[in-house]
Amino acid sequence: MTAQNRDDAPRTATRRPGAVRRFLATPRFFLIVLIIALVVVIGALKPSFFNGPFVIAPLLTSISIFTVVGLSQLVVMSVGHMNLAIGPMAAFGAMFAGMSFQLFGLPLWAGVVVGLLAGAAVGALSGWIIARTGVNSFIVTLAMSFALIGLVPTVYSWLTTGSAFTVKPDGLDVIGRASFATLCLGNVCGTNAIPIIVVPTIVTMAILGYLFTRTRIGRELLMTGSNVQAAELSGIPTSRRIILVHTLSGVLAALAGFLLAASTGSFTPGIGGEFMLQSFVGPILGGTLLAGGYVSITGTLLGITLTLLIRKGLDLFGVGIETLNILLGVILLIALSADRFRLIRTRRTRAAAAVAPPDDTGGDPHPTGPGADKKEEVSA
Amino acid sequence: MSTPFALEARGLSKSFPGVKALDQVNLALAAGEVHALMGENGAGKSTLIKILTGVHRPDEGSLLLAGEPVSIGSPMEAMEAGIGVVHQERNVIRRFSVGENIVMSRMPRKGLRVDWAAVRSEARRCLAQLDLDLDPETPMDRLSAAQIQLVEIARGLYTETSVLLLDEPTASITSNEADRLFRVVDRLRDQGKAVVFVSHKLEEVFAHCDAVTVLRDGRSVMEAQRLADHTRDEIVDVMVGRSLAALQVPDRVIDLTAAPVLELDGVSTSLGHRGVSLEVRPGEILGLYGLVGAGRTELARAMLGLGRITQGELRVRGKAATIRSVRQALENHRIGYVTENRKEEGVFLEQSVTRNIAVTVWSTLARAFGFVSGKGEQALAGQYVTELDIRIAGQYQNVGQLSGGNQQKVSLAKWLAAKTEILIIDEPTVGIDVRTKRSFYDLIWRLADEGLAILLISSDLAEMVTLADRVAVMDRFTVTGTVDNTHDYDAMSQSIIRLIHTGTAAVAAPGRSKENA
Ligand SMILES: Nc1ncnc2c1ncn2[C@@H]1O[C@H](COP(=O)(O)OP(=O)(O)OP(=O)(O)O)[C@@H](O)[C@H]1O
Ligand SMILES: [Mg+2]
Repeated sequence: MTAQNRDDAPRTATRRPGAVRRFLATPRFFLIVLIIALVVVIGALKPSFFNGPFVIAPLLTSISIFTVVGLSQLVVMSVGHMNLAIGPMAAFGAMFAGMSFQLFGLPLWAGVVVGLLAGAAVGALSGWIIARTGVNSFIVTLAMSFALIGLVPTVYSWLTTGSAFTVKPDGLDVIGRASFATLCLGNVCGTNAIPIIVVPTIVTMAILGYLFTRTRIGRELLMTGSNVQAAELSGIPTSRRIILVHTLSGVLAALAGFLLAASTGSFTPGIGGEFMLQSFVGPILGGTLLAGGYVSITGTLLGITLTLLIRKGLDLFGVGIETLNILLGVILLIALSADRFRLIRTRRTRAAAAVAPPDDTGGDPHPTGPGADKKEEVSA
Repeated sequence: MSTPFALEARGLSKSFPGVKALDQVNLALAAGEVHALMGENGAGKSTLIKILTGVHRPDEGSLLLAGEPVSIGSPMEAMEAGIGVVHQERNVIRRFSVGENIVMSRMPRKGLRVDWAAVRSEARRCLAQLDLDLDPETPMDRLSAAQIQLVEIARGLYTETSVLLLDEPTASITSNEADRLFRVVDRLRDQGKAVVFVSHKLEEVFAHCDAVTVLRDGRSVMEAQRLADHTRDEIVDVMVGRSLAALQVPDRVIDLTAAPVLELDGVSTSLGHRGVSLEVRPGEILGLYGLVGAGRTELARAMLGLGRITQGELRVRGKAATIRSVRQALENHRIGYVTENRKEEGVFLEQSVTRNIAVTVWSTLARAFGFVSGKGEQALAGQYVTELDIRIAGQYQNVGQLSGGNQQKVSLAKWLAAKTEILIIDEPTVGIDVRTKRSFYDLIWRLADEGLAILLISSDLAEMVTLADRVAVMDRFTVTGTVDNTHDYDAMSQSIIRLIHTGTAAVAAPGRSKENA
């Protein structure tokens, strides 16, 4: 368009909505508001909530572990896949770590590496099967999950007497159970409300944030999630990318399994039993799309924080575990419908005049406000 | 006014975040008239049509149907009001059959059950109007882009309508197929229906339309005038907003002694090609022309590893090459491929303009640790936004929010940005306006002069005659001959038609075709 053209047709080309306004329209902002409100309410009704070492630190420990669980799902969601085997993969990875401490006496770092490699191996296997056969990730990872659920306890019963590896290498308790109070510079020590275990989680978040926002591979993953065919025809090696995300998901699942074991002090086959629901709730509440193409890493942290906070709150009021599970189900449902809603909204945004099916009563088909462009970048 | 207009829109305005798509637009459609709606890419044509069919709600303005004010709140209401539409973007359901797609808006029923016999007969009736010999049971995903477009048109003919809105129905079909559509349009006109016709092909518009409304930047700058009172150049100038100089076809010299960079030697493929031979030299533009279903797109796809070469040889720069994926074609052989199917394969609707363009160059932009500079990719994409005059509110905008023609430009830009040495372009100017077509032609000539070898697939014969240096003609999955382009439309169209017929005759005795390159 030439300048002269612009003059005779003064079209209101408004600017991109400001960063602040865009942020206010994201699910992340909504989550932050909810979290703050909950903290205030719970704290007001039960002042014991603010007990550093006994309430806050354990809460932060679970948040750290489950955020890694959520990220493990998030990486496969970026290409529009799922991993239903996160729990069993976590158990599998943790088993290898525990085994290397107990049977081979390996030091902490080596055991961790072995565990993560084991996770990578099973993840890569799922990814390879999916890429090779084109079978839906749902089915492949479901099968993988069954296989591992069978395998892990069998191995434990072969190799141990009490179905647990309990040998702890030096440093395991520091990662799993110590707080910053043990870290002192001169006379100044850290607070006992923050456990050391937040560190690996923060590092993981930073690495994934870098991957998705700054690198070629991260961008290619999101493009693959948006439209696999177009990605393939744009020269993105989609099969390799699919194997990559499943491998990464396996690594993160194993990491979560290891962190959980470190926090409880023993490596058991039961690790990861609670992972599956949470792995979906966190990312979806945070704005990551099940269909792929958009991820939010901070959103995952916030989503996990919200659910665990609710859980802790109800716990303080003495509500039983069944009620907790019902609530978790409800939250998942809300999260999933939020995902649906967002998807429909972005679909409608497309210039495509989606010929609405006859039963579509349709609201205003175009989104107003800055939420409309939310998908074009990831939050780190 | 004696007879009221069949459909009239008064003072329609519509804003999207960041852009005012329509600004006080008027449109008056008389019964028994074919009305051309013209304008550049992003002028607001599709938005107007979507408002008339209840997909979008206008911010301001009113609609009158046969003189009575109406409000159309949903596509369903539009259908009930007798307004039929063929949208610009394909809206078919891939997993369903042709028949189901045609009658989808109103499934024939027997009690609670679908009346499958009626589905088939209705679908056949609509297809017959277009002389289309297509089995209603055919699954949609077996069809080519052009066939899908024809099915979309058939769908528009399914329900009885007093107003039919056609948004670029002829964009991806050849003039042969388009003629069938125009026969239907002429019949509708005789029956006293009002038809709106959107197209960037001026020849069609002047041959078949009675009245014209021109949109520019969301305003109706020429309203319901008789088309016969205006010349082509006048209409183009009104669309563009200034006078547009005539297209200069450059004198191109191609080094005929240069070794071909891309050669097909007696290639047969798993997709059904037999004994195809072609060669493209550096700096040369080889056109590949044929009717819908001739196997041109399939040939391109077979070269890129999306089909298998079962016999014969593909040679790149003289060396036999096996290409398994677009990735390999790009990285190992510097070959790019612009797909004809932009919505499903060409663009990422939910990603930004920047990313859509930069996707092919990330491997070049990436530095240590795979780092891609956001600024770098933005600058690069910005360059092509300017060059192809892609109309956007900002580079952050999702491609799904752009007008059809602008999406096409994005799909093209990504491969221009990749700086390949061989470019296979499939229907590059589908839905692109006159002015951009010219800048695109200039760009293609410039790239060819710089040594790019181009294989151009186009169903637009005029475009072939303008752009190509040689034209290879395909029919039924084989090349029936190659002609040097004389840039004389009539002569070229005759020799091309002749080659298409030779092909039909040669089907009885398949074998390697002779090239007169
Ligand atoms: N859903 C949407 N959200 C935001 N902007 C939109 C949306 N749909 C259309 N636009 C904008 O409205 C303007 C008009 O678009 P429209 O699709 O009507 O153009 P058009 O005249 O049909 O162009 P073309 O010839 O390319 O099809 C464009 O600037 C486009 O980017
Ligand atoms: Mg349009």
